[in-house]
Amino acid sequence: MRVTQSMLSQNMLRNLSSSYNNMGKLQEQLNTGKKVTRPSDDPVVVMKGMGYGMQVDKVEQYQKNMGEVNNWLDSSDDALDGVGSVLLRMKELATNASNTGAMGENERKAIEAEINQLREHVRDLANTKVGDKHIFSGSMTDKPLFNKETGFETGKSFGEKVEIEVFDGVSLRVSTDASKMFKEIDEMLEKVGGMTATGVGFSEMITDIDKKMDNVLSNRADIGARSNRAELMSNRLEMQEGAAKKQRSQNEDVDYEKTITDLITSESIHRATLSVGARIMQPSLMDFLR
Amino acid sequence: MRSTFMGLETSKRGLYTQQSALYTTGHNIGNANTPGYSRQRVNMEATSGFPGVGINAGTMPGFLGTGVQAGSIQRIRDSFVDHQYRSESTKLGYWESRTNAIAQMEDVIGEPSEFGLQQSMSDFWQSLQTLAANPENGGARAVVVERGVSVAETFGYIHKSVSEIKGNLNDEIEFSATKIESLLSQIGELNKQIATVEPNGYLPNDLYDARDGLLDQLSSYLPIETSYEKTGGRAPAIAEGIVTIKIKTNEPGKTITVLEKDNAAKLTIDRTTSADYPNSITGFTFSSESITDPEGQLAVKDMVKSGELRSLVESHGYMEDGKEKGLYPEMLAKLDKMASEFAREFNAVHTGDINGTPPSYASDSEGKQGQPFFVVIEGTTFSASNIKVNSVIKDNPNKVAASNSRPIATADGTPIPPTVDSDGNPVVGNPEVGNGKNAKLLGDVFFKKLPGLGGSSVQGFYAQTIGQLGVEGQQAIKMTESSGTLLLSVSNRRDSISSVSLDEEMTDMIRFQQAYNASARMITVMDEALDKIINGMGIAGR
Repeated sequence: MRVTQSMLSQNMLRNLSSSYNNMGKLQEQLNTGKKVTRPSDDPVVVMKGMGYGMQVDKVEQYQKNMGEVNNWLDSSDDALDGVGSVLLRMKELATNASNTGAMGENERKAIEAEINQLREHVRDLANTKVGDKHIFSGSMTDKPLFNKETGFETGKSFGEKVEIEVFDGVSLRVSTDASKMFKEIDEMLEKVGGMTATGVGFSEMITDIDKKMDNVLSNRADIGARSNRAELMSNRLEMQEGAAKKQRSQNEDVDYEKTITDLITSESIHRATLSVGARIMQPSLMDFLR
Repeated sequence: MRSTFMGLETSKRGLYTQQSALYTTGHNIGNANTPGYSRQRVNMEATSGFPGVGINAGTMPGFLGTGVQAGSIQRIRDSFVDHQYRSESTKLGYWESRTNAIAQMEDVIGEPSEFGLQQSMSDFWQSLQTLAANPENGGARAVVVERGVSVAETFGYIHKSVSEIKGNLNDEIEFSATKIESLLSQIGELNKQIATVEPNGYLPNDLYDARDGLLDQLSSYLPIETSYEKTGGRAPAIAEGIVTIKIKTNEPGKTITVLEKDNAAKLTIDRTTSADYPNSITGFTFSSESITDPEGQLAVKDMVKSGELRSLVESHGYMEDGKEKGLYPEMLAKLDKMASEFAREFNAVHTGDINGTPPSYASDSEGKQGQPFFVVIEGTTFSASNIKVNSVIKDNPNKVAASNSRPIATADGTPIPPTVDSDGNPVVGNPEVGNGKNAKLLGDVFFKKLPGLGGSSVQGFYAQTIGQLGVEGQQAIKMTESSGTLLLSVSNRRDSISSVSLDEEMTDMIRFQQAYNASARMITVMDEALDKIINGMGIAGR
């Protein structure tokens, strides 16, 4: 084949531009850390990447939700712990008070005052707030469970479950339906307060207090069980996070060792193109004619 | 009997002819870098011998050579390679333009990135999840509204940008049509000049080169067929004549003549007048008063799938079977479908259905029934460009129906009376501020399989759309590369035949120069011989 100067120079120009193109692509990959920057680079990677990205975002959101779950459960448990302490103190007071022989009127007055304080405390606990929500008010988180004017709320919505999604299709119940328990304890405290005047009936009350304590304990056990489940889910989410990020990274992230090696290779090819071009294009017959 | 001065004449012809060859060499060297230039060659031929044949011709014992003459000056070109070049160039024109169109679409859609529709949908979903966990939080509500606005605006932005490029493509089609017309009339003009020069016995090589350059350009727009017609007169046998250009079509046996002699066809773009698809392209008409072939109509379906014009039409969109098809219209249709299906489903969850079986409830923080979250900007139908967040909800984020409790009143405040369920239990609504169950359902809309999207979720449909765009883009890039490589190799072959090699010209230069010098020396020899005759003879014994 006949080869002319213009063919050589055109070919060299084309080779140079394709090697620049190649290096540009590798440089972009190294700069962005991604194998693909547009769908046509690799449609499958981009399509998968969209799914993986959503998965990562989801797990991230579920982890945030999990924080909320722990908030609810821990606060509920703390509040019920408080109720337990109240009941324990109640039992002590009731035991003391039932010992009618040793109790004077003044002592009973003191007990009554303390019981009233305990009652207030239980009402406060029933209105425990986490952030701006009342955690024992069911769906009515903006309203306290104990209303100062009307007493304990009993509406259906106050018993409504609150659930938070912590994984695709998995929701955890975070609310504790304690409105009935709080109401009964409150009523019981009222009754006990009434007894202090006479000092009669305290010993029967003690069994009642025990029952309420059982009630509190079983609620706490329930919360504990849910906390355990939340912890399990947390672990699972962490694993999922790792897996989702790894998948996404394997799908679309640049393999630096490989890409840098490729860059070095294409750089040396580029140098070779330049030097060969310079050698070939320089001389012509003119240089050898006199 | 030969003439005394015949030797001088023979050498003079040698001088002249070698000089012509030297001049042509100079011309070649001068045009070594001219695009489209084909190297030229002086076809030397021996002049007829002496004596000529005839009754009165003298007889002598040989047929004596009389030297050389320049028969013709011809350009070195292979019309078969030209044919190949043009056919590859048509293919490259198609794929290159398609690659461009897809790359522009990829640019405005902007996937994968942190700013695309995917990310804004993901953000919206996250905000709904946060609302589901914190329904009483006004901030969470406001974020949901803002993210919803962002989704609607992203739809609108993409739609607008894609439509804008579609408009640019329309301009490009019009520009191409003008360019094609101009190329045809330029070629017609060259035909005219060639028809004037050739009958005088000349080869207008530079006009041929110019014409071939224009034909190359034309071939990137349209698949063309060329045929040549002799000009007559004293035109040399190797003269190329004038070209007739026809356009190939898909219809078997049908071609459209667009240039005959110097009559170039005018090109008009045929458009619909339908109200649904105003100005959509249906085809092209090539019209000329003087071209004998009247069948100048070229419907899009008859266009060969090759050439930039076809590609532009495919990208911009064209009418077929009462619908607008093509890359951009189809992408717009997909975006519209996705936006409208998403908005409809989202609204359905956001308003609930009190009377449905089973009823679904959606109420805002005041216990009123949710109203449509997305509304149209104008008219009645949702589309990617016609979607925004309900301004009532935008002004008051408490109207986001995060709760799935039974509403106590409709959105405009009309009380909804309690009812009884199938077991006879009363069903009474109640505003539940802490109920975020419907917000979760709203988030689930992204992953719900929708019949309107062919059973895909919004998320899946979008990924599919992007994937398909990517596959088409990838194919276009690959085809551009491969047709580019083919064109390159044909172009190399053409250069190998036609382009100027300086080494070769140098060699020629030396050849012709030496021959010139030798002819000159021959004249000196003749001169000496004549000197002998004139000055040295007839003085015997002086």
